[in-house]
Amino acid sequence: MIEIKNLSLHVGTFSLKDINLNINDKEYFVILGPTGAGKSLLIECIAGLYLVKRGEILVDKRDITRLPPEKRNIGYLPQDYVLFPFLDVRRNIAFGLKQCKLNKAEVCERTDNLCSLLGIASLSNRDVRSLSGGEKQRVAMARALAPSPNILLMDEPLSNLDVQTGKRLRLELRQLTKQLGITVVHVTHSQVEAEEIADRISIMNDGKLEQVGSPEEIFFYPVNEMVSDFIGSPNILDCQTYRPLGNGLAEVSSGGLRVVLAHGDSPVKRIALFPRDIYVSETQPPGPPQVNRFQGFISKIIQHGRLIRLHINVGGNTLQAEMPEDVFESMNLTVGKEVFVILKLRRIRVLDGTDRSS
Amino acid sequence: MKGAINNKDIEGKPGFTGISGDRVFKVATIAALAVVVIFFVILLFSLFSYTSWNDFTSAILSSEILFAVRLSIITATLAAIFSMIIAIPAAYALSHSKFPGKSIVDSLLDLPIVLSPIAIGAALLIFFNTKVGSSINSNFNFVFAVPGIILAQVTIVVALAIRLLKSTLDSIDPRYEKVSRTLGYSKFQAFRSVTLPLAKNGLIAASILTWARAVGEFGATVTLAGAMAMKTETLPIAIFLSLSSADVQKAIAVILILVIVALIALLLIRKIAGRGPLI
Repeated sequence: MIEIKNLSLHVGTFSLKDINLNINDKEYFVILGPTGAGKSLLIECIAGLYLVKRGEILVDKRDITRLPPEKRNIGYLPQDYVLFPFLDVRRNIAFGLKQCKLNKAEVCERTDNLCSLLGIASLSNRDVRSLSGGEKQRVAMARALAPSPNILLMDEPLSNLDVQTGKRLRLELRQLTKQLGITVVHVTHSQVEAEEIADRISIMNDGKLEQVGSPEEIFFYPVNEMVSDFIGSPNILDCQTYRPLGNGLAEVSSGGLRVVLAHGDSPVKRIALFPRDIYVSETQPPGPPQVNRFQGFISKIIQHGRLIRLHINVGGNTLQAEMPEDVFESMNLTVGKEVFVILKLRRIRVLDGTDRSS
Repeated sequence: MKGAINNKDIEGKPGFTGISGDRVFKVATIAALAVVVIFFVILLFSLFSYTSWNDFTSAILSSEILFAVRLSIITATLAAIFSMIIAIPAAYALSHSKFPGKSIVDSLLDLPIVLSPIAIGAALLIFFNTKVGSSINSNFNFVFAVPGIILAQVTIVVALAIRLLKSTLDSIDPRYEKVSRTLGYSKFQAFRSVTLPLAKNGLIAASILTWARAVGEFGATVTLAGAMAMKTETLPIAIFLSLSSADVQKAIAVILILVIVALIALLLIRKIAGRGPLI
């Protein structure tokens, strides 16, 4: 278990402010926040790359605050991977093993094992500069895992990959670290990434931890305005009726809306929908199916940076939809205008019965 | 009306506007470059026109010149080694550490590069006449002796070596060291196993330039070690002594040796630079 107590640190004009955080054993923990929030700095403190003068960092009850990084046995995967360009793939992976007092045969065996675990055995003699982003990511992962750390820190490990590779590696990362039984602290600015991969998430902004909790707690019950602004607070609808349709589908009604969603047999009391998952169209969408399509009118238009948020009155409910500025400009939307909204069926979430917002 | 007059004015001066202006500018800059290149080529050819192959070979094989070649190689190599040993940690400190007065230290290091070498040589000579200096000199014998040559060369080139190495170290991402720290390497081990290999090309280039500059050093050397034939006679001092005794053939032979040394050094550095950065 990692315990961070009252940690404060000033670096130039930036500072981490009184950070308190517990990360459980074998947990996949994600620190999520906008650029410049201090996420990287925080994990570099855990790694020992910054000397912490105020506060404590404990790992399994042992105080490591003053321990140099080489004595902490914490794996670190930096952003952009930072592979050693003067060593080939194999030597990059074996780099940390040289300090582990292993003989040559043991180093060789461990390197082979890591290569096959990460599926990079065919790359072993390649120049690291010739690798693709995904390959570099795996090599950096193997290098960080080589000295068998109990904790792995990852700084934006998926942000430089194309969307497809990133998506695939997300699942792999979680599987692999769960299989190895290590504690992971993963830093990212991507909500989708955090939501898919994390056991628990911490939202960080301006050197402070704003909220720590399960993905559901964070996304559906933001504790303050910063968190709800950052993640885009969802539309939450109370459901009056529930009817299973079979094939894993169900219909609920909320106010005047009948919404079809993917759900099993248990009753649904509340559903949530992120503004980004609501499509807005000026014209009637063509063709069937007619489910989850509603007519309403715009009651408010708010600009949030480069995003436009629309309040749309649909059957007595107000739904918030979100679209990029350029899409908004390409349409002719004004307050009071009649529009059609389309809810993405697979993106409708069912909230559990407990009401935590009150 | 006024605008029309202005236009006409400009059109009347084809050297300053339009396509013809571009051409004039290009020709003028190339002409300046050509003047410099032609000047150096003429200088080199005048050396050849003044000597014959026989005179050149007999001069170069004379015991005095062979002595000067050997002494220059030994002293410059030792000076380059000493300079690099000091410059590597010093450049690292200047590149990576923050300390009060860093900018003053940084400016101070430019002094030996800009200052006349004879002034530095004179300062060294004066230092060895002080109490502390003379007691050091009685042990190591710098003044008017071979160790003085090495000391003078080190004094001149060490700042240059630090400058060159600092720019190499500045270009290395500090995260390489950070990663190696998390892989079990101490600060020194990380420096040795990661930073030095990353700085390899810069280190080689700095060593070659430092060595070449030490070979050519004259002002400080002649002031501290003197110009004694077959004793403190490095290649530049050999030119000075040959010209003093009006032995132009010998001077030309040494000049050509120095030209060749400089050209080889520059070619090597070009080749290393051509490899590009490792990262």
